[in-house]
Amino acid sequence: MHELSIALSLVDAVCDELPRLGERVSVRRVVIRVGALSGVVPAALKFAYDVATEGSPIAGSGLDIEEVAGRVLELKGVEVVDANR
Amino acid sequence: MSTRIVEVRRNILKKNDLAAAGLRQRFRDSGMFVASVVSSPGAGKTAFLERTLAMAAAAHPVAALVGDLATECDAERLRRSGAPVRQITTGTVCHLDAEMVEQALEKWPPGGCEWLFVENVGNLVCPASYDLGEDLRVVLVSVTEGEDKPLKYPTIFNTADLAIVTKIDLAGAVDFDRAALLRNIDTVRPGLEVLEVSARSGAGFDEWMTWLAQRANALC
Repeated sequence: MHELSIALSLVDAVCDELPRLGERVSVRRVVIRVGALSGVVPAALKFAYDVATEGSPIAGSGLDIEEVAGRVLELKGVEVVDANR
Repeated sequence: MSTRIVEVRRNILKKNDLAAAGLRQRFRDSGMFVASVVSSPGAGKTAFLERTLAMAAAAHPVAALVGDLATECDAERLRRSGAPVRQITTGTVCHLDAEMVEQALEKWPPGGCEWLFVENVGNLVCPASYDLGEDLRVVLVSVTEGEDKPLKYPTIFNTADLAIVTKIDLAGAVDFDRAALLRNIDTVRPGLEVLEVSARSGAGFDEWMTWLAQRANALC
């Protein structure tokens, strides 16, 4: 049951990417890939995600999990809302 | 206002993996061979390491890091071997990560240490996801736990370099089905090497020391 640790790492990883996404941009959805052998339970991770994002720059964003084979644990991409455009 | 998808493609545990890679490089540079030990709580990690440290110390300067949620109990036990030992208390965290190991290794162990053992928090689930920069990972499973453990916790067996069956002196008392355990290990991780030991009697420890020395010599 280390999904909260994983979720916190995920929030860090997304926040690392924020500068290159541009100004006045907010994250609406985060898409990740979770392998069947990664040791991570998607449902528990989804639950932990809301807690982990609270008070962070990506609070309120949704999490989409693509379940794949292998030990993958990857931040695939983010859907952002661009207030400039 | 518009929405767009930005591709990122990075490992979620990149920070941990980078810290682990840094540790691994540091271990190579300093000629230190590092083995981590994982198991469920009560499988006998600490008793196993007590004897391991005492035996290994005869040939190599050794040290140990030990992780638990709370207390210095395990560090105190391991210090009786005479080896330098540091306790990592994780609070509520159910596993060690590379940054915890990095912090514990600040100005430690004393120079000249050749073999370092890292005892993870007793847990067969969470430690599987975290690379600690170790050269190899050993998973312990005791005869008292039930032969189906590998089937229930395949991930940790998939990330291990060796499985060790502990408490074999108790095998008769608990009707341990050796063939079933070996079959189950082979099912989740075909070809994984298995050793059998008793920390109480010392059985199997010569084989374990030989296995370890071979791996260490190949690396350092």
